[in-house]
Amino acid sequence: MNVEIAGVTRRFGRNLAVAGVDLETGPGVFGLLGPNGAGKTTLLRMLATVIGPSAGTLRLLGRDPASYGPRREIRRRLGYLPQSLGYYPGFTVAEFVEYFALLKEMPPAGVSAAVATAVERVDLGGKARAKLRTLSGGMLRRVGIAQAIVNEPELLLLDEPTAGLDPEQRVAFRTLLRDLGQRATVIVSTHLVEDVGAACTEVALMDAGKIVFHGTPAELTARGEGRGTGDAPLERGYSAVLAQARS
Amino acid sequence: MNAAEANRDVTPADVDLSRVWLGVAARVWARQPGRLERLAGRLLRSPGLARALLTTPSLLLGWVIATAAVLAAGAAATSWTGTPWVALIAPAVAGTGIAYAYGPGIDPAWELSCSMAVSDRMVLLVRALAVFSLNAVLGLAASAAAVAAGISGSAASVTFGWLVPMTAVCALTLAAATVARSAMVGVAAGLAAWTITVLAGQSASGRFTAVVTDSALILPYLACAAACTAIAWYATRTPKGTT
Repeated sequence: MNVEIAGVTRRFGRNLAVAGVDLETGPGVFGLLGPNGAGKTTLLRMLATVIGPSAGTLRLLGRDPASYGPRREIRRRLGYLPQSLGYYPGFTVAEFVEYFALLKEMPPAGVSAAVATAVERVDLGGKARAKLRTLSGGMLRRVGIAQAIVNEPELLLLDEPTAGLDPEQRVAFRTLLRDLGQRATVIVSTHLVEDVGAACTEVALMDAGKIVFHGTPAELTARGEGRGTGDAPLERGYSAVLAQARS
Repeated sequence: MNAAEANRDVTPADVDLSRVWLGVAARVWARQPGRLERLAGRLLRSPGLARALLTTPSLLLGWVIATAAVLAAGAAATSWTGTPWVALIAPAVAGTGIAYAYGPGIDPAWELSCSMAVSDRMVLLVRALAVFSLNAVLGLAASAAAVAAGISGSAASVTFGWLVPMTAVCALTLAAATVARSAMVGVAAGLAAWTITVLAGQSASGRFTAVVTDSALILPYLACAAACTAIAWYATRTPKGTT
């Protein structure tokens, strides 16, 4: 298992953002669904080792991120796309991706080839030498994905990766996700259920800091048969599970 | 003959064109690190840390020029008035530079940086040391210029009088900036503390230069620097608990 978390809780002052989450997952594409404020981003930030849990235990890639040495090893094998990607406006696309490849401690000799591969995978080859300040929101999102995958991560965490992408780019991105999920654990936080249906092998639904459903997209769809609201079967499953959790 | 047929004629069947293109792109897009970055990479034994060092906001050319200009003006004022202005302004200038070295409000990709193998605490340490060293060198040059212009006192006393207070002010701004996660708060804390110290020194001794000439203050400055460094170290740990 690449991700093993037990009883993980995270508080921000009086606010309980994540309330005792248990989760285990291996290679594949894992969709993390939920309404705004459900705790998805906080859970992802803990998995990215940006913040620690208030209680509970995490094991990532077989290591305990609470200690410096294992945390550093996890981070070398980690890819993370935060919800809001800050960027250096004066950097080019290639420079930005290269910067994070170096911060991930990739061997310097292989960085140039890895950067070129990552930039091409997100279809930004034509913009590799363009300054980031000249790019559209969707292109910047793809730059963020490129830096996340530049080290061929074993654990890839993507927070709202399709925000700002046009339909054509989203379809290409789902293909990329499925490809990455062959070898790595890819956890995608989103509130777009169609992304989950198209790309994920496993899905969890969060509400009020808790996981209220964990299964396959087909199982989530089945929960909505004859119940729930929404245009698509998966949306009906989503709304049915949420309604049941809140009742 | 169309383009596909033409390509078939000139490309051997066993050549993977996309692989060739990636090799070309890797060479064309690769950035050649400058001399300074290569030197920093060798010294720090980490190309990532070297690159992070060179993106420090308060080490960018404009900032360095502004710092040099302020200290040059201080050196000129020192030589004209006989008051050690360099010693009084150097801690404030260096403290501001330290506060603007690293943090969530300064580094646009700070959230991402916090998930990197090169630890953000190490980046902060290297950047703070570099900013401090640069300001110390510029301050030394300004002090030397003032001494050369005929200010009384030994070169050592004029020069080193401000280094210890500068250390304390830098540590204070660093601690305030990391705890509050705001460079502005760090600058405000450093400048306010230094101004209060200067004014307190004046009211106690009648000379507002007492804060850089009174050797009895060295120990309190060092104690303040140590305490603030410990606070900054604590504040930059991986956040845990309820904050």
